[in-house]
Amino acid sequence: MTLRPVPIDGFSTPTSRTQAETEAVLLEHIPTPDPSTGEPTPKAALDKKLHMQFLVRNLVQGFPTRYTSQDASQPWLMFWTVQAFSVLQVGLDPGNKQRIIDKIMTWQHPDGGFGGGPGQAAHLLPTYASVCSLAIVGRPGPGGGWDQIDREKMYRFFMSLKQKDGSFLVAHHSEVDVRGIYCLLIVATLLDLLTPELLEGTASFIASCQTYEGGFSSASHPSYSLSGSLLESPRPPLGEAHGGYTFCALASWVLLQPYLASSSRKPEEATASIDVKNLLRWLVHMQGVEIELGGFKGRTNKLVDGCYSWWCGGAFALLEALGVGGIQNADSDEVPIDSGTGEGVWDDVDDGLYNRNALQEYILYAGQHPAGGLRDKPPKNADAYHTLYCLSGLSSAQHHVFPSKLRRSQLEAAWEASESLEEDLKKRSFTEFLSWTEEEGGSHIVGGNENRLNATHPLTNMTITHTEGLMTHFYKQTIPAKPIKAKPASTS
Amino acid sequence: MATISFDDEELFSERPDWADVVPLEQYENISPLAPIFYTEEYKDATNYFRAIAKSGEKSRRVLELTESVIRQNPAHYSAWQYRYETLLALLTASSPSGVISPSDPLLVAEIELMDILAVRFLKTYQVWHHRRLLVALTRKPQRELQFITRSLDADVKNYHTWSYRQWLLAYFGGSVDSTGDEDVSEDLWEGELDFVDTMLAQDVRNNSAWHHRFFVVWGCGVREGERDRERVFKRELTFVKQNISLAPSNPSAWNYLRGILKHTSTPFASVLPFVRPYAVVPSSSESAQRDIVDLENPPPGEGAELPCAEALEFLADAYEIQGGADGVKSAVEIWTSLANKYDPIRKKYWEHRIRDAHQALKKANA
Ligand SMILES: [Zn+2]
Repeated sequence: MTLRPVPIDGFSTPTSRTQAETEAVLLEHIPTPDPSTGEPTPKAALDKKLHMQFLVRNLVQGFPTRYTSQDASQPWLMFWTVQAFSVLQVGLDPGNKQRIIDKIMTWQHPDGGFGGGPGQAAHLLPTYASVCSLAIVGRPGPGGGWDQIDREKMYRFFMSLKQKDGSFLVAHHSEVDVRGIYCLLIVATLLDLLTPELLEGTASFIASCQTYEGGFSSASHPSYSLSGSLLESPRPPLGEAHGGYTFCALASWVLLQPYLASSSRKPEEATASIDVKNLLRWLVHMQGVEIELGGFKGRTNKLVDGCYSWWCGGAFALLEALGVGGIQNADSDEVPIDSGTGEGVWDDVDDGLYNRNALQEYILYAGQHPAGGLRDKPPKNADAYHTLYCLSGLSSAQHHVFPSKLRRSQLEAAWEASESLEEDLKKRSFTEFLSWTEEEGGSHIVGGNENRLNATHPLTNMTITHTEGLMTHFYKQTIPAKPIKAKPASTS
Repeated sequence: MATISFDDEELFSERPDWADVVPLEQYENISPLAPIFYTEEYKDATNYFRAIAKSGEKSRRVLELTESVIRQNPAHYSAWQYRYETLLALLTASSPSGVISPSDPLLVAEIELMDILAVRFLKTYQVWHHRRLLVALTRKPQRELQFITRSLDADVKNYHTWSYRQWLLAYFGGSVDSTGDEDVSEDLWEGELDFVDTMLAQDVRNNSAWHHRFFVVWGCGVREGERDRERVFKRELTFVKQNISLAPSNPSAWNYLRGILKHTSTPFASVLPFVRPYAVVPSSSESAQRDIVDLENPPPGEGAELPCAEALEFLADAYEIQGGADGVKSAVEIWTSLANKYDPIRKKYWEHRIRDAHQALKKANA
C-alpha cells in the first residue's frame, strides 16, 4: 500500500492544511503488518460487545445533557439505537419493545405525522424515524403501534407540505430539502400511501437538485412565469453536491421509478432524467485514498467522515437499480478485460464499483471509539448517529444486496389484487421495493466472519425482514418464501 | 424588544407573569426508555412551551419563551415554527391596514436578534430558515449579503450559509421578476463575482466557493453585462485554467472546468492543449519551456506534483468521447495507469470504465 499524502502541489491553503492534519491522525490508525506473520496489526476486529454496551447504556440509562441539542430528534435517537441493534444481529425483549412503542406513540401529532417529541410539531424527518422504529419493534393489533398510525391524517399532512415545484416542506413554515422528500417517500411507500397527486412533479424536482459535479444539493430554487406556471429554468440547486443529500435524492429517484413507469404518470414527466454517469463519477471520487484509509467524504475537498460510509458507500447499491454496477447489470458475453495486474476484471465484477475492503478498514480502524460506539474520525467522540451510519456503511460494504428480477417476478405472481384505483402503481411499488435481495455467497467480510453484520435494505436502512414485515401488513399481501439461493442472474 | 440575558434567569415556574399557565410535562404516564438528561432550565422552558403551543396563545411573552427554548436548543424546530406564527400574528395586529410593515420595530428587533443567533448557532437549519422567512417580509436582501460574508469568516464552508446566499440571490434577484417588487434588482448581483474571487483567493480548494461561482455565472439566469455568453465562457475558462495551474491536484477546479464545458456543450477535446502537460511526468526540456508564456494554456506551477490524476482522467474521457478503436485504446491505457499506479483506490471504477468503453465500441461496430 502506498501512503502518498494527497498532493498539495507546493501550494498550501486552509483546506490542504486541515487535510494534512487529518492524514497525520489517520496514519496512526493504519495497521502495520506483523513482521513474522504478515498479518495486519492490530487485527481488524469489530468490537461488537463494546458497541452493544454503548447502545444499551443510551437506551437504558439515557443520553447525557449534551444530547439536549437533539431533543427535537428523539425519534432519530431511537431509530439510530434500535436499528444499530438490528445491524448487530441483536433483538430486543418484548418488555423493552413495548416501552419503546409506547414512547414512539406519544410523538404522533393529532393532525397526522410524527414530531420530534411529545407536543412537538409534525415533521417529515421524525416521521420517517418513528415509522421505521415501529417497523423494528412494533407489531399489528392493539398496543402494537402499527395499527395506531393514523394513515389518513398522515397522508393529509404530507399533502399539506407539497409545493408547486413538486417539492415538500419538511414541516409547516419550514425549509424544503431532499432529506424530507426521501423520508416522505419511504413512509408513503411502506404504509401504502402512494398516489399520483402525491408524487406528481417530484421527480423533476429531484432531478433539478443535481449539480454540475454529479452529486445532489439540498434543494433547488424554482422560477415561475407571470401566469404562475413552473419554468424549466432557471432552477438552480441551492448548495453544492453533498453526500447526505445525494443519498436522499438518489433513493428518492429510485423510489419514484415505479410511479414513472406506471399508468398514473403524467405525460410531461416522461422526460425527467438524471445524469447517472456523472453521479457515479462523483460518488467514486468521494472515497478517500489509502492514507485516508478509504473512508468517504461528503463533499469535494472536505475530510473523510464515518457517516458517509452509508450516505456515499450505501448509494452504490441504489445505482444498481438504475442499471449501473452489479453482475446482474453486466453483459455476460463480454470479454474479460485485464487492467494489467493479472487478475481478470470479469471475475470480481460483483465486488462493486468502489473499494469495499478499504471502506471496511476505515470503519474498523478509525471509526471505532475505544470506549464503545462509532464516530466520524479520531479523536472525536462516538455518538448515536455515527454509530448507526458507520455500522450500516460497514454492513453495506460487507454484503451485496441487489434488486433481483427473479424475486420481483415471484412477488408479482403472488400479488393479490385489491380494489384500489391505483392498482398498477401499488403493485409496482410493492414488488420493486421488496425485490431487493441479499446475494448468497456474495459477502466479503474484512477481518473474518466474527465481524459479520446483518444486511440492510439499501432504500430503508432497515433489515429486509423488518421491511417486509411492515409492508406486507399494510399492503395486506402474503409473500412467497425466499428462494434458497439468490444468485444474481446476469442479463441476456 | 429587550434581548434577554440568561445569566440570572428565573425559571418560568417561579415567575408571577407566567402563573396563569399550567406547565405540561413531556412524558406523563410512561417512564420512557432512552431519556435525555435535561437541565432544570430546559425542562422548565419546554414544559411551558408545550402548554402554550397547546393553548394556542400568540402574545408578546411567547417571543420571550420561545427565545429561551431556542437559546438552549436551537434545533427545536417547533419553537421556531411557533415563534414565527406568533410574530406574524403580532405584526398583523400592530398594523392598522393588516399589511405587515417592513420597518415594524418588532420585525427589526427580530432580525437583530437573528444576527446574534445565526453566528452562534451556525450549524442549525432553523436559524437560517427563520432568516429567510423574515427577509421575505422585510424585503431587504442587501444587508444580508454583508451579514453572510461576515458569518462565513466563522465557518467558510458552512452549507447553510452558502445555500442561504444562493436562495437570497435567486429569490430577490432572479432575472425573471415575477413579483413586480421594486426592491428586486439586479444590483444585488453586482458584487457577486468579486466576492467569489476573494473567497477563492483565500482558498482555491474551497468547493463551496466554486459551486457558488457556477451558480452565479451559469446556474441562475443571465444578468446585464453578462449577455455575451461567448465572452463569459472565455473569461471562465481562463479563470479556471489559471487556478488549476496554481494547484493542479484540485478536484474542485477540475469539476468546474468539466461543468462549464458540459454546460456549454463544448467538447473536452478543445482544451487538450491545456490539459496534456498536467498528465505527464515533466522532462527537463519541458520545464525549460515554462519561460514561454502562453496565456491560453498556463503550465503547471513550480511545485506541481505530476502527473495529476484529475488531468489523466480528463484526457481519458476526452479520448473516449473521441471514440473509435484508437480513442478507446488511448483511454484504456490511461485508465489502466490510474487503476494500477496513480489512483488505485478507485481501481474498480477505472475497470468499470474500461469494460464500458469496450462494450460501447463493440456495439458501435456491430
Ligand atoms: Zn459524520
